[in-house]
Amino acid sequence: MEGWSTFSNGSSLDCPGVETVGAFPGNGCCLGKDHVDNEADCDKLKQRCLFYKLFPVYLKDNCSKGVVRPLPVLIDGHQLDLYKLFSIVKERGGYAVVAKKRLWGSVSKELGLNLKVFSSVKLVYDKYLNDFERWLKQIFEEKKSKTGNNEGLLCPNLKDKDVDELVKSESNKIKKDTDFVNCKNDINLLDTKDQKNKSEDVQHNGGDNDEKICNGVKVDPTTLGAEGAVKKLKSRKRKRETLSGMLIWMKHIAKYPLDPLAQPIPKPSKWKGYKGQDIFGQFLRAREALLPRQHEEPTSGLSFLQKQKMHPVMYEDRASLGRHATGKLRCSKRLPAFVKSKSCSCCNGKRLTDVLTAKTISEPSGGESLEKQVSVGPRFQAEVPEWTGVVSESDSKWLGIQIWPLKHDSEPTPETDIGRGRQEKCNCEFQGSVACVRLHIAENRMKLKLELGSVFYHWGFDRMGEEVSLQWTTEEEKKFKDIMRSNISSQNKYFWNNPSKYFTGKTRKNLVSYYFNVFLIQLRSYQNRVTPKNVDSDDDEVQFGSLGDGFRMEAVKGPGYKIPDCSLNEQCADLEYWSRHD
Amino acid sequence: MKEEESGIEEGGASLPSAGLDGKKRRVTYFYEPSIGDYYYGQGHPMKPHRIRMAHNLIVHYSLHRRMEINRPFPASPADIRGFHSDDYVRFLSSVSPETLSDSRHLKRFNVGEDCPVFDGLFDFCQASAGGSIGAAVKLNRQDADIAINWAGGLHHAKKSEASGFCYVNDIVLGILELLKLHRRVLYVDIDVHHGDGVEEAFYTTDRVMTVSFHKFGDFFPGTGHIKDIGLGSGKNYAVNVPLNDGLDDESFRGLFRAIIQKVMEVYQPEAVVLQCGADSLSGDRLGCFNLSVKGHADCLRFLRSFNVPLMVLGGGGYTIRNVARCWCYETAVAVGVEPDNKLPYNEYYEYFGPDYTLYVDPSNMENLNTPKDMEKIRNTLLEQISRLPHAPSVPFQTTPPTLEVPEEAEEDMDRRPKLRKWDGEDYDSDPDEDLKAISGCSNITAHSR
Repeated sequence: MEGWSTFSNGSSLDCPGVETVGAFPGNGCCLGKDHVDNEADCDKLKQRCLFYKLFPVYLKDNCSKGVVRPLPVLIDGHQLDLYKLFSIVKERGGYAVVAKKRLWGSVSKELGLNLKVFSSVKLVYDKYLNDFERWLKQIFEEKKSKTGNNEGLLCPNLKDKDVDELVKSESNKIKKDTDFVNCKNDINLLDTKDQKNKSEDVQHNGGDNDEKICNGVKVDPTTLGAEGAVKKLKSRKRKRETLSGMLIWMKHIAKYPLDPLAQPIPKPSKWKGYKGQDIFGQFLRAREALLPRQHEEPTSGLSFLQKQKMHPVMYEDRASLGRHATGKLRCSKRLPAFVKSKSCSCCNGKRLTDVLTAKTISEPSGGESLEKQVSVGPRFQAEVPEWTGVVSESDSKWLGIQIWPLKHDSEPTPETDIGRGRQEKCNCEFQGSVACVRLHIAENRMKLKLELGSVFYHWGFDRMGEEVSLQWTTEEEKKFKDIMRSNISSQNKYFWNNPSKYFTGKTRKNLVSYYFNVFLIQLRSYQNRVTPKNVDSDDDEVQFGSLGDGFRMEAVKGPGYKIPDCSLNEQCADLEYWSRHD
Repeated sequence: MKEEESGIEEGGASLPSAGLDGKKRRVTYFYEPSIGDYYYGQGHPMKPHRIRMAHNLIVHYSLHRRMEINRPFPASPADIRGFHSDDYVRFLSSVSPETLSDSRHLKRFNVGEDCPVFDGLFDFCQASAGGSIGAAVKLNRQDADIAINWAGGLHHAKKSEASGFCYVNDIVLGILELLKLHRRVLYVDIDVHHGDGVEEAFYTTDRVMTVSFHKFGDFFPGTGHIKDIGLGSGKNYAVNVPLNDGLDDESFRGLFRAIIQKVMEVYQPEAVVLQCGADSLSGDRLGCFNLSVKGHADCLRFLRSFNVPLMVLGGGGYTIRNVARCWCYETAVAVGVEPDNKLPYNEYYEYFGPDYTLYVDPSNMENLNTPKDMEKIRNTLLEQISRLPHAPSVPFQTTPPTLEVPEEAEEDMDRRPKLRKWDGEDYDSDPDEDLKAISGCSNITAHSR
C-alpha cells in the first residue's frame, strides 16, 4: 500500500481554514445512491466533497457581510441535502430554467420531499444556493483576471490545500502546480448546460497555458503528451485520489453507519477473498497494510487500545445482558484483543458492537495474526536483582499480627475434629428444613465461639450469616429486598452508588454485608428447596422477582410447620447471650 | 515452632499419600477479616466475599488448628512500588469513586470497566499484597513450609496498569521478596486465564520460571501462546500450556504432572509459588474448564510433595460457592487432612445447597482437548524445558555456583532440613485416600505438638 503512505504524507482531508464545516449537515461527502465503482460516481463524490468544502467558506464570507444563513436547513422536518438540491437544479438547467419552467415540484420530488413544499425548496435555493453560485462565479472571475490562469478551481482534483488557500486569501496566487496537470476530469460544479460556453472558454484558456484543465470532457491520457514524468505524476496522483475517496467514504460510514445510501459492506467472512476494486476493496487493503504495523508497537497508547475485557458481557447494554444472563456467560467468545479496539475510538455504545463485530472478525482470521505479544522493556518487567548470595533481611512487620493459635493457649487443641463434616442425622422434626439448618448453624456457632474466644470476633464471625439482619429493622429489610427485586440495572447501580440515600445511617459496607450475608443466603435457601436444579448466587443480574411473596419462610417450611419469621435470629441471639454471660 | 522442626522429615519429595506419610508441613495462613466487605460493584463477577466464605469453611472444618493464622500487614505505597511504577501507585493510593474524574487516568491505568474504582480499593490492594509479601517473608524466615494467602493471586496486574480485575500484582511482590533469599523461584498458575502479569514481570530473567496452564484462543487476556517462551536470559523460562474448553481432571493431571515433574527436575527451584485461581473449576461463571475440586487440588498436592517452600495464592474464581469449596479443600491438603465431603453447618451453608457437599463434581461437558493435542503440547513443552541448562547458572559475584547445595551454608540455613530436591521418583497418590474421604473417615495422625 505505498499509495497509502503517499496519501497520508500528502494532502489532508481536514481543512483547518474552514471552521463551519463541522456544523454542516452531511459534511464530508455522502455517497450517492449509486455504487461508487466507476469514475463518474467517484467524481460525483468528489464534486460533493468540494461543494461541502466551499459552501461553508461562502457562508462565512457571507456572514462577515451581515447575512446569516442558519444550518442545517430543515424542510418539512427533513434535513435538506444542499448539494443534492444544487446538483438537481443544475441538471435541469439552473435556477433560471427551473423557475421559468416551474420545475420546483419535480425537484422537491427528487429530493424525496412532499410536492407541497416546493415553494420552500425554491426559497432555500434562492437564499442559499443562488447567491452561492454567484459568489463562486465571482471568485473565478477574479482569479482569472488576476492570474490569467484558469486553475480549474472547481475541479475536485485540486488539492484541498489549494482550495483552502484559494478561498482563504483571494489574492493568493494559486501555484501552477504540476498537480494541475492531473486535472483530467469531466466534472465541474458550474458545469451545467447554461454554462457550456464558459466551460469551453476554460478549456481553451487552459490550452493556452499548456496545462490540462478541467472541462466537460474526459481527457484522454494520450493527449497529455509523451512526457513520462507527467504520466508518472499522474499515476501517483490517481492513487491519492482514490484513497481520498476511500477516506471520505470511511468517514461517512463512521458517522452514519446505518446510512442506507451507503454502499453495502460485504460480510466479514467474505473479506478475506474480497478482491473488489471499489472503495471497500481499497479499504480492506489499507486495513491489511496498517494492522500489522500497529500490532508491532507496544507503546502505551496502542496497548491501551489493545485491551481486552475480561468480562465483556457486563458492559453491554441491558437488553443484550438479559439474553446473555440466561445462557452461560463464561463460554462466550472473547475477542482477540485488538480487533476490538480498532473500530471504536470515537463512537459511543461501542462495546456491544465491538464484541459483536470482533466475534465475526475473529472467525475467518483464526486469531493467529492477532496474537498478543509480551511487552518487553523497563516499563513492563520487574527489577530482578542478580543473585549475590548476600541475604537481605526482611522486615518482620510482614509477619502481620498472629491471630491463631492464641499465644496464651497452653492446652493443645484437639486433633480429633479436624476435617469433620456434619452428622448424617439430627433430631429435628423436619430434617433439612430452614429451621433445622438454622438451628444447627447456631449450635456450631456457639461451639466455635467457645473454642475461638475473642478470635471469633476478630475474624468477624459475629458479622457472618443471617445474624447480620439483627441490625436491621423489618422495614429496612423489606425495603432492601424490594429494591433488589425490582432489579433494574440502572436503578440498582444507582442504588449501590448512593446507598445512604435509601437507608439513612447505613453505609455502603452495611448494605454489601447484608446483601451477601442475609439476602443471598435467603435467596439460596429458597432456591435449594424450590428450584434445586437451578441455583445461582453469582449472577447479580438475574431477576429476583420470580420469588414473589414466597421468598422467605412460607415457601420453604415443611407442611403444617409453623415458625415465625426470624425465629432463628432470636435463637442465635439467645445463644450468644448465653455464651457471653456464661 | 522451632521444636517442631523434627516433625518435618527430610529427604524424599514424594508423599505416597496424606494418610501414610505422616509428614506435616508447617502452614501459615494469612487472613484479613475485612476482606469480604470489599465490593467491586453491582454485577461485577469478582467478589472478595468468597475469601470470607472460604475462611468460614476452613474454620468450621477446624483446619485452623493445624495452622498459624496471621492478619496481614498492609503493604504501603512504597512497598507496592517494589514492582509497580510510581505514577500508577500514586494514582491507586489516591483515587476514590468520588475523586475519580480525570478520564485520562482511567485510560492510562486501564481502570473503569473490568477494573472499577470502588470504595476502599487501595485498602483491598494493600491487604492482598501484604498477605503475599507476608507469606514470602514467612517462607524466607523458614517459619513455615507452606504459606497461604487466598486474597492474593491477582496475576493480571501490570507494572503500570490494572487488568482483569487485578490492580496490584501481589504475586510479583511476593516473588521479589522470595528472591531475596532464594536463587530460583518457580511460579505455577492454574487459573483458567493466562498469568500474563507475572509472566511479563519476569519475562527476561531466569531467576523466576513461570508456568501457566490456561485456556487459550479467543479468551482473556489473549496472551500465553505456547511459543511465548521468554526473552534474553529469560528465554525458555516462561512456559505456556494453552488448553481448550472442557479440560477434565484426568487429562489435566497427566499434563500437569509431566510438565511440573520435568520443571522441578531441571530447574530445581528453591521456592514455589502456586496460583490457585478457582475459575478453572467446572461450572465457573467465567471459566470453561471442567475440573473437580480434587482435580484442581491435585496440583497443590503434587507440588507439596516436593517439599520445597511453597506459597499458595488465590486468584480468579467467579462461582463463589465453588471457590470457597476449592480453597477450603486446598487448605486441607496443605495441612495434610482429608476433610469430609459433607459440609459442616456454617453461616454460609445455604450457599452450598442443594447438595451441601465439599467437592464439586465435573459436568458432562465435552472435553475439546484431544489426547493428540495434549500429547503434542506435552512433547513441545518437555522439549522446551529440556533445553534449559540443568539448574541454570546464575551469575555469582561473591560465591561460586554449587548446584548441589543451592543454599549457602549460612548460619540460618542449616536449620532448614537438607536440600529438598526432588529425587525423580514417580509420585502417585494413594487411591485409598479418595475412598477414605468419600466414606467420611478422616484419620488424622497425631499432632506433633
